Amino acid sequence: MRHSPQLTRLIDALKALPGVGPKSAQRMAFHLLQDGRSGASALAEALSSALATVVRCTRCRMLTEDTHCAICASAERDATLLCVVESPSDVVAIEQSGSYKGRYFVLMGHLSPLDRVGPEELGVRELGAILATGGVRELILATNPTVEGEATAHFLGEVAGSFGVRASRIAHGVPIGGELEYVDGGTLAHALSGRRAFG
Amino acid sequence: MTRNPRRVALASAYILHHRPFRETGRIFEVLTREDGRLSLFARGVRGPKARLAAVLQPFRLLLLSWSGRGDAPSLTGAESAAESAALPAPCLLSGFYINELVLQLTTRHDPQPALFDAYHLALESLKEGAPLAPTLRIFEKRLLQMLGYGLDLGTEAMSGRPIEPQAYYYFRPGEGLFPADAARPDALAGRSLASLSNEQLAEARELKDARSLLQAALAHCLEGRELATRSVARSMARRGS
Repeated sequence: MRHSPQLTRLIDALKALPGVGPKSAQRMAFHLLQDGRSGASALAEALSSALATVVRCTRCRMLTEDTHCAICASAERDATLLCVVESPSDVVAIEQSGSYKGRYFVLMGHLSPLDRVGPEELGVRELGAILATGGVRELILATNPTVEGEATAHFLGEVAGSFGVRASRIAHGVPIGGELEYVDGGTLAHALSGRRAFG
Repeated sequence: MTRNPRRVALASAYILHHRPFRETGRIFEVLTREDGRLSLFARGVRGPKARLAAVLQPFRLLLLSWSGRGDAPSLTGAESAAESAALPAPCLLSGFYINELVLQLTTRHDPQPALFDAYHLALESLKEGAPLAPTLRIFEKRLLQMLGYGLDLGTEAMSGRPIEPQAYYYFRPGEGLFPADAARPDALAGRSLASLSNEQLAEARELKDARSLLQAALAHCLEGRELATRSVARSMARRGS
């Protein structure tokens, strides 16, 4: 069956969402236009206002409406610690752990030389500008433990070194509640080589 | 004509490149020993429940299983081959470069076990801490040879005279080596050519000559395409210093 033009447009637009295919998009469109009309107008309004106002923090590249995001603007955060992550969702994950009180820098990706993603695309110039101010004591490299994430961390470690800033890499190891038997060899090797004195 | 889906179990392979596919999948471009280079679709290899994500990393010797017809079969299993170490971080950029060379210069479904072995050997050498430049040059030389663009490092083009270690030469891509004056800026020392031929590069001059010779030969094969890894490496060098 063919939908009306406006309905088709809505369904196509909903397919832009991650994990949404034609079937789910159609279900969402019907729901929004039938029972969820008030929710739908709230969604439409929220979406257009977010699109118009949300930009990247000029300091850390996190999404925000202001020049500086809440973390960069906060006086409570330790400005001498800077944690580099690949994406805004990594910031959220670390914040939820409640174990970090420094600031962040969001790369919005990782080095991927074969896809022509290099330092310019990752905002390394902006990161360099922060390091050049001399206020950062430690750069924590929290890129993903993938080959691309390691390449990114290695490169940023060199950048930090050129500014005389100490760089550290987050530890990789066995997850809490995990069983060694089921941990892959690469992770176990990291966990063993990164072992710490005990007791 | 219908064919039964082909099943391949635990084939030696390396991941050359990968890109996301839908929500939790990836498309892998892999180099296998027996089946050449091919694309593999893999579902459920990203996200919190993806058990294979740790295994499916480039620069590690893997045992891959797949099945399916056509151009892009589906990955059905992956194991890391015994004692496959990670490529050290300072070598990763060179690893990406090697991968791009293989991606650009090979065609899919063209088995080249010798190329796979040369690739494997290059990565193993880097993992064991072999010096970067000679390892890359030797891989480039072997790659050209296996693709049918092998360099004749023993004789002059045209005249067919043997290359003399004390003499100097210049290289014309597609043709070969010609005698040159030592003062010429692109002059290659005969000694360097012999060292490259024996795969025994050590001295600075030998490495410099091998690099310019192989770059010219590779550029000829790439037919004007610029390597992405090379331009990213250049901007990294500017930024990192």
